[in-house]
Amino acid sequence: MIDIIQNTVDGVMIGSSYALLALGFTLIFGTMRRLNLAYGPTIMAGAYLGTYAFLALDIGVLPVALLVVAGAAVAGLYVERLCFRPFGEGAAIASMISSFAVWMQIEEAASLALPHHLNAFPRLVSGQPITVGPFFFRLDHLAMLAVAAAAAALVHVVLHRTRFGLGVRTLIDHRRAAELVGVPVTHTLTLAFLLACAIGGLAGFLIAASEAQITPMFGMWATTKGLIAMMIGGLGSVPGAIMGGLALGVIEAQAQWLFGPQVRDLIAWGVLFAVLALWPGGLLGGRQVAEQQAVQRRV
Amino acid sequence: MDDYLVSVLSNIGIISFVALSAYVLLLAGEVSFGQQAFFALGAYAAGIATAMLRWPLALALCLGVLVGALAAAAVGRATLRLSGLYFAMATLAFAEMMRIGFELFTWQVDVGGSLVGPNGPDGFGDIRYLFENEITPAQYMLVVYGLLAVVLAALLVLDRSRWGRVLRQAGADPVLAELQGIRVVRVRLVAAAAAGALAGLGGGLYAHLLTYVEPRNFDIMLGVHSLAYGLIGGLGTAFGPVLGVLIDIGLLESSRLFQGYRMIAFGGLVAVLLIARPRGLLDERAVHWISSRAKGLFDALAARRLDHPFRRR
Repeated sequence: MIDIIQNTVDGVMIGSSYALLALGFTLIFGTMRRLNLAYGPTIMAGAYLGTYAFLALDIGVLPVALLVVAGAAVAGLYVERLCFRPFGEGAAIASMISSFAVWMQIEEAASLALPHHLNAFPRLVSGQPITVGPFFFRLDHLAMLAVAAAAAALVHVVLHRTRFGLGVRTLIDHRRAAELVGVPVTHTLTLAFLLACAIGGLAGFLIAASEAQITPMFGMWATTKGLIAMMIGGLGSVPGAIMGGLALGVIEAQAQWLFGPQVRDLIAWGVLFAVLALWPGGLLGGRQVAEQQAVQRRV
Repeated sequence: MDDYLVSVLSNIGIISFVALSAYVLLLAGEVSFGQQAFFALGAYAAGIATAMLRWPLALALCLGVLVGALAAAAVGRATLRLSGLYFAMATLAFAEMMRIGFELFTWQVDVGGSLVGPNGPDGFGDIRYLFENEITPAQYMLVVYGLLAVVLAALLVLDRSRWGRVLRQAGADPVLAELQGIRVVRVRLVAAAAAGALAGLGGGLYAHLLTYVEPRNFDIMLGVHSLAYGLIGGLGTAFGPVLGVLIDIGLLESSRLFQGYRMIAFGGLVAVLLIARPRGLLDERAVHWISSRAKGLFDALAARRLDHPFRRR
């Protein structure tokens, strides 16, 4: 019982970074209805910039964090200009494959910049875990949870208290309606894309800082974790992304403790498959799917 | 031909099967990230059949086709009412489950004094049918291209048939297709099974070419690449995906052009190409243009050769 609670706590803390990854993903998908496969590699580009500066200039952890977020946003701008802006409506698959091509580019560029497989990354905090009764909390995971919660709160404020946020939410609801009520669509889409990449960059920084290392596999890892968390939570739903991330963290922590890392991944994919087959909208995205199915039934 | 050329050409032929598999589903309007799963199932099934059960190659390849088709139909039944990204993610989830499943799968038997069979993450080696039966790489390449020619011919015939139009209509506008009396989900199920069969066939050929397969050969990279081949080469004809494979493996990987910067150059090239032609080089319009030109040329030649009194102008 104590172990299960401990795993759940660990899972929530790790899951907070998955939630941020999924949040960025869902902002892009929700507004554009496009899948950005280069999302993880974009984050990796930022993380590589950070670790490159850390190794070359020996700067502190906070400038590294800023570099990671800024690098992810700049790489995101490149992806947006090349893979999303030029495509009209209806070319969703071409745009997705294009983002995959850019993924390959970023991965090769990263391994040319830092040829080692493992690269050191600065830790955010270090120290002994805090023990409370039978439970213990890793400091870097606590910091991860705190920063992620703060970031999610900030995103919530931006989405619900600013004009830009209103535009984003309108776009998520209905693109045509957003155009009709005068939302500056192109501008809002680009800004939302950059915001998503910056959120992803923050998540990437938190993960790399808690692992204290970064590898070229990080891009694929971040894309798949973000996708799973987003799909479990419900496509295009902001609260769903956060719940999906936390749920994925908890499921993985329990499965890892029970069966080890290989079966953990098997279970994470199995949960996603089951959710999609039985309950396609995920936790909070059911409405759209239900509407679509209703249309097809009526036909 | 030298050995290197033969192996590159065989590889192009085999990867074309999984690219065609993703292409068939794209025509039906579904994006799959998971065709590598059926490729893997075909590879393992055919490898087990020849190396462990001592079946002949032809029968083993049939088993690969069957396993691929059945698995794809089963996955399709569970997921085909989903569409778009939901379906893509469900297929990816299945493929990753299969890949991890193969990492956990060990089954070895004693064949001629040594243990043969899938051995978890270490893979499945000693699929030595070609070697044992003295089939040379060049002969095997002919087998690969013979089968590919049959598949391409079938797909081209299909494209001109009523069935091909139904397939493309279900992909182009499912709601309209439903109104026209097309059972979209059923069409997609058949397409998924056919796609699984194609991938299974490719997998069986792959296992015997390499003599050694391991689970990580069948990761998401293979799945997304096979989708990309169709979009690079074009969705207008079954030659499109093959052209895509030819450009990637043939032109760039083998010629060692842009060595060290291959993915940067190729990735940029694909991104720019897709902006210009979102449905690939040989898209529907290009295919229509080529075929009408070819028809014109053919008619002109025919007219010159036999000066028929009632010939069409």
